[in-house]
Amino acid sequence: MIKNKRHHFFWFLAIAFILASCTSGNQPTEKETTEKPAIVKKSQRIKVSNYGNEKLSEYGFFTGKLSDLIPAKGVIPYELNTPLFSDYAFKKRFIRLPKEGNMVFNAKDPFDFPTGSILIKNFYYPTDFRKPQADRRIIETRLLILEKKGWKALAYVWNDEQTEAWLEVAGDNTDVTWTDFNGNLKKINYSVPTVTQCKSCHSKNNELMPIGPSARQLNKTITSGKAENQLIQWEKTGILSGLPEIQKVQKLAQWDDPKGGKIAERARALLDINCGHCHNENGPAKTSGLNLDIFENDLHKLGIRKPPIAAGRGSGGLKYAIVPGKPEESILYFRMKSNDPGIMMPEIGRKMVHEEGLELIKEWIKLMKN
Amino acid sequence: MKNFLICGFISLCILTSCKEELPKEIRNFQDIEKSLLTEFILAEDGDTIEIDKGQFLFKRSLILDNKKNMVIRGKGIDQTILSFKGQEEGAEGIKITNCTNIVIENLTVEDAAGDNIKVMETEGITFRNVKVSWTGGPKTTNGAYGLYPVICKNVLIEKCIATGASDAGIYVGQSDHVVIRENKIYKNVAGIESENSKYVDIYNNEARDNTGGILVFDLPALTQYGNHVRVFNNKIIENNHRNFAPPGNIVAVTPAGTGILVLATEKVEIFNNQIINNKTAGTAIISYHLINAISTEEESENEKNKESERGTTQKINRKFEEDKNYNPYSRAIYIHDNQYENKYWLPSLKSDFGKLFVWKFGFNTPDIIVDGIEDPDGKHDDGTIKADYSFCFQNNGNATFANLDAGNDFKNLHQDMSKYDCSRPPIKAVQLNPYPNLEKDEKSVDEENIEIKI
Repeated sequence: MIKNKRHHFFWFLAIAFILASCTSGNQPTEKETTEKPAIVKKSQRIKVSNYGNEKLSEYGFFTGKLSDLIPAKGVIPYELNTPLFSDYAFKKRFIRLPKEGNMVFNAKDPFDFPTGSILIKNFYYPTDFRKPQADRRIIETRLLILEKKGWKALAYVWNDEQTEAWLEVAGDNTDVTWTDFNGNLKKINYSVPTVTQCKSCHSKNNELMPIGPSARQLNKTITSGKAENQLIQWEKTGILSGLPEIQKVQKLAQWDDPKGGKIAERARALLDINCGHCHNENGPAKTSGLNLDIFENDLHKLGIRKPPIAAGRGSGGLKYAIVPGKPEESILYFRMKSNDPGIMMPEIGRKMVHEEGLELIKEWIKLMKN
Repeated sequence: MKNFLICGFISLCILTSCKEELPKEIRNFQDIEKSLLTEFILAEDGDTIEIDKGQFLFKRSLILDNKKNMVIRGKGIDQTILSFKGQEEGAEGIKITNCTNIVIENLTVEDAAGDNIKVMETEGITFRNVKVSWTGGPKTTNGAYGLYPVICKNVLIEKCIATGASDAGIYVGQSDHVVIRENKIYKNVAGIESENSKYVDIYNNEARDNTGGILVFDLPALTQYGNHVRVFNNKIIENNHRNFAPPGNIVAVTPAGTGILVLATEKVEIFNNQIINNKTAGTAIISYHLINAISTEEESENEKNKESERGTTQKINRKFEEDKNYNPYSRAIYIHDNQYENKYWLPSLKSDFGKLFVWKFGFNTPDIIVDGIEDPDGKHDDGTIKADYSFCFQNNGNATFANLDAGNDFKNLHQDMSKYDCSRPPIKAVQLNPYPNLEKDEKSVDEENIEIKI
């Protein structure tokens, strides 16, 4: 009996020991601290301020109160048919051309701009989306500046007082809250991109390039000011040359306007602006063999029953980018529905799911026939 | 006595469950994200970014774009740790694009959402003494690739450690002039993968406890196709890990217990390797048709209950045949002077291949396996194999062999290796031009003490 007890005790100890060693090994003891940076600089650095103007106001884009975003003379507002989704941020866009030179029409690619052109994009959230003209908070202003050696991307982050925006090359994060169109309170840790992140999307043949100002996107009657087609207006004022007859200019559907096009047209427009800048023959996603720009007519390259190349867990265990009629079996839908950075598409530029856009893609795939 | 047994059993269970879970490293993270991001952005050509000893946590990818002649250097593996655990933006840990002559050395990158280090369209990239890992051990939710140069030229990967990748520890895609040497690669689905790459030397590596040790293959519809790949002096041991790749990826069909897999590529020389205790196949040479058949079969099984779906998969899976530049057959393969051993009686039964092999070979799993699906264009009119297509297997000790004749339902399966007793001209060594240029006085320079002039 005694012997037996000893036995028990022995095993008890042994198990306890094993368990203890096991758990202590498995317990991650992570804690975050914010100590001083531990980087050694090896060479003299140019100051951040040499990268671009330190403050947004120095450019003189706006008159009056800076946060009113009232364009100064020579700063031209513009709109796109189907804009990129950026976590539901509203955007106000402007172009400032240099004194000499104008935009030159391209049928496919964004227009050619003269050196010195600046594209200005302001990202803001109305406090209540149902009253977009009331209170708002401007988060950042992104600039694309065309220098002699090519385009340069800069982001300016607005202060809480909304009196100035400061250059941030390494990005920034800030919490934003708003009430959405359905009256629900939304919150997000908004991310201002680093200048290298900008190029992750704004890239063609490894050159930084604008994405939005293409004929198909700009072929639109704008809502602010005179109700007239932007392109015609620009041709009249002499800032755009080479515009063909407007009927011959491609027009991208407005993704959220059911009257603006068939579901397939609106879905392709949405894919074109959100995916096509990477997923095209010359874009960073060419390694995937999946092309989602508006010009792709090969159904396989568009993803129909196309297996992934190096998607990793982005495949979600699914076999094809698009399975006609079956959004739930389509990798495309799966990745647009995800918020996991290792899975989601686009890879950057959003933290939220674009629910309404996703719904459109779902409908599109559902309606596809074998 | 009964108690004794129960206790013994319980502790055994505990022991085994303990063995499955890797002990997690202790981390005490510092935040240097903004300053290091700024360094990456503002760096000028010729700069060296030195990162101190410590453990650093990042929310977004570190991107280096359009720079020349740069070194990113830590204080050593597991001394300088860049962790991307729970990262919020970007799929990669470090991403390098459109650069020339970049060296990454002496650091650890862990737990990126996607790939730990991805390098794209860069000429001259060296990884030296870099560890890439997923610290939770092998999991399907781990990122795909540890080190991932794609569309690069002049690639050197040496003295690195890669573990935990749900696709490949080291994956070289669509690249030219690549040397992968003296690395340790363990507990990945694939250890090393050379995909659609040309002029690749893989030597003095140790690939252990992966699902497949070293994979050399071509996939259709990509920017280029591979050839001239040498795999030599490697230790390819016990690659029997269960396959934890997410389904839908090509490696997900790699059977556990694969030493070397050659798929749909040409001009591969495999020699002087120790290929030991890989349960299912020491070396397998197969065609894309076989992979295609496996995927199609899986699919039709899944779809047996869905009548409407039938017929469609077959049509689309044949898409690769439309790529005129892609040859789905393996060609010109030379396997010689390797040491094959396999102490296991049975192949891994987790794959269909394993089951098939038990059925066909019993306790004698062959070391070298070909699927026997041959390119009709690979033969002369008299039935002899063209020189560009021949397989030669020589001086592999007591290695056993099987030709599966998979194209004819294994009808003419045979184990006669004599018709492969030939030699092929050796493939030339890859010449690299690494940065900084070490070639001149390689012997006299201790690598630890190289001074980089800025």
